[in-house]
Amino acid sequence: MTDAQPAQYSRPIDGNFFKELMNAGLTWLRTNQEAVNALNVFPVPDGDTGTNMVLTLQAAYDEMNTSSSDSVGDLSRDLAQGALMGARGNSGVILSQIWRGFANNLSGVAILDAPNLAKALAGARDTAYKGVVRPVEGTILTVIKDSAKAAELALERTKNPIEMLEMVVEEAKESVKRTPELLDVLKDAGVVDAGGKGLLHIFEGMLRYINEQPLDIALVSVKPLSVIGRHEAQSAIEPGQDYEVIVDFHPHESLNLENFYENLEEMGTSIQMGEGEGMYRMHIHVPTEKRYTPIDYIMTLGTVSQVHIENLMEQMNTREKEEGFANIKLAPIEPGQIAVIAVSPGIGFARIFASLGAAAIIEGGQTMNPSTQEILNAFENLPTSKIIILPNNKNILMAAKAAAEMSVKDVQVIPCQTIPQGIAAMLRLMPEQELDSVAKEMNIAITEIESGEITTAVRDVEIDGIKVKTGEIIALHNGKLVAASNNLQKSCSDLLKIANAQEYELITFFYGENTTKQEADKIADAMQELYPEQIVEIQLGGQPHYQFIISIE
Amino acid sequence: MNKEITPLGNIRISRQAIATIAYHAAQRSYGVVGLASKNIADGLAHAIVKDPTHGIDVEYKNQQINIDIYIIIEYGTRIKSVASSVAKTVQYHVEKALGLPVHEINVHVQGLRISEDE
Repeated sequence: MTDAQPAQYSRPIDGNFFKELMNAGLTWLRTNQEAVNALNVFPVPDGDTGTNMVLTLQAAYDEMNTSSSDSVGDLSRDLAQGALMGARGNSGVILSQIWRGFANNLSGVAILDAPNLAKALAGARDTAYKGVVRPVEGTILTVIKDSAKAAELALERTKNPIEMLEMVVEEAKESVKRTPELLDVLKDAGVVDAGGKGLLHIFEGMLRYINEQPLDIALVSVKPLSVIGRHEAQSAIEPGQDYEVIVDFHPHESLNLENFYENLEEMGTSIQMGEGEGMYRMHIHVPTEKRYTPIDYIMTLGTVSQVHIENLMEQMNTREKEEGFANIKLAPIEPGQIAVIAVSPGIGFARIFASLGAAAIIEGGQTMNPSTQEILNAFENLPTSKIIILPNNKNILMAAKAAAEMSVKDVQVIPCQTIPQGIAAMLRLMPEQELDSVAKEMNIAITEIESGEITTAVRDVEIDGIKVKTGEIIALHNGKLVAASNNLQKSCSDLLKIANAQEYELITFFYGENTTKQEADKIADAMQELYPEQIVEIQLGGQPHYQFIISIE
Repeated sequence: MNKEITPLGNIRISRQAIATIAYHAAQRSYGVVGLASKNIADGLAHAIVKDPTHGIDVEYKNQQINIDIYIIIEYGTRIKSVASSVAKTVQYHVEKALGLPVHEINVHVQGLRISEDE
């Protein structure tokens, strides 16, 4: 293999080493957990594959770690047992099957050598495929199949299980890359399979440990673009690192990541890199005097397509002035009155709902769905039995309905799918009236309002004939994608046109947490010019991800 | 029969059609090795069925779709996780295909299959 192999290459894989390797796989998977979550579109796009795999492997590792045996065969059986008990979600179940098959072929094996590793991976593949009537290719199943095959081929070239692992990782990488060719839903979404990628991270983590590469720093990992949003690392602002700089670029030739990171580390902190479609996004926090240095540096490496600089201190200050959800003044509820529970994605909306008389606010939105239990907790202790829930998002509707059914109270869920609908419903609240008649009024109100949303595309996609590129500003009208452009103002005006705004009276722009009041003012002025007959207003919504949520009424 | 009224006329979606969507989604769901007859009394619970109407029950009542799925699961998988994945997958695919919300999905685990080499 290489000239100077790390010492671990000649270390026999006994029980202790096996534990260390599993721990490395788990650590590396956890480091990349969010990146795996972001890929999750199959079988259900709910963004939890990474989390489920981490929890499953954690349970497996914990079970194994309590064993005092030094035999790999015994330990892998414990690992499989732990994985079975802790299996979470679809990918977790498959992962538990993989370890079960792995363990099946290792009974009585004390030290894991190359032929045993190949046998164990073959067992993992066989057991994994047995667990489903119609195996879907282009998933984690394909990746374990290709890995097992690579191990079998490696047997002809090496007797060293670690060199074998090297070849397995190499092939698993290629296998993950091929998943979109096998599964159309991945191709359409422009991603590789999340479960397959998660499995690769486990194998890769073991190899990184052997090669003494870091496992717990996301620095060295290149995440998919969708994960590196702007304003990502705001929570951790170190003094002196006042500016956030984000540069999108195409490198002239393939990037030497290690050198690249070394150079960046001299400039600042919170370094993150994203990659997608040959384009890179670099994120860094730097002191004021160095705010242009990363840009100059990257210009020597490739073509810069976009630069974003922001004064973090300034933003922190405005943020601190706004108080958290906890400090919002909610409407007091008298027994017998109707209490409204509203789900809000941001502080501004929470205030608006509170000012309109909401009795409880639950934080939640597009990527952060409250559980049934959280919803239930919000109203179970209120001194009234008449409850109305405004889920304000279609992903939360189900949980709200489930909460309604579990409760002994009289609960009505208004099927509002957007915030403007929720506000329209809220305006019809008459706390003293009959629950049914108020709910009926609200149900009518939500049909009379047009909702718009403006956000940045996190990946290339084509929906309903509209082609969207990563980073473009997209407009949704009543939840449906209607326009995409690389200009915020144009996307807003396209949206208003499609929503027939000239037929309505009031257009309200609720700006998100990542949009400044100045930006919002500018858009509102431009829209007022286009629609002189209508009243255009702006309000703080405080929602994440969406520059604007727009109501047209 | 599931009915939607459009300006041009009515759209009817049969229970059989909904069952077929659910059947395919369930079959591709990991951990499920077959659908089972729902009628245990006739002694066929373990006979894996090919006709979707035998392993899936679709009910359409008060404007709501309720689905019952009768499945056989691979022995050695975590039954709770598999069952909730099936419910999630079926809900997603049926809602995506029909554009209508599914109110309830009940998963009935009718049996386990033990693969030979265990």
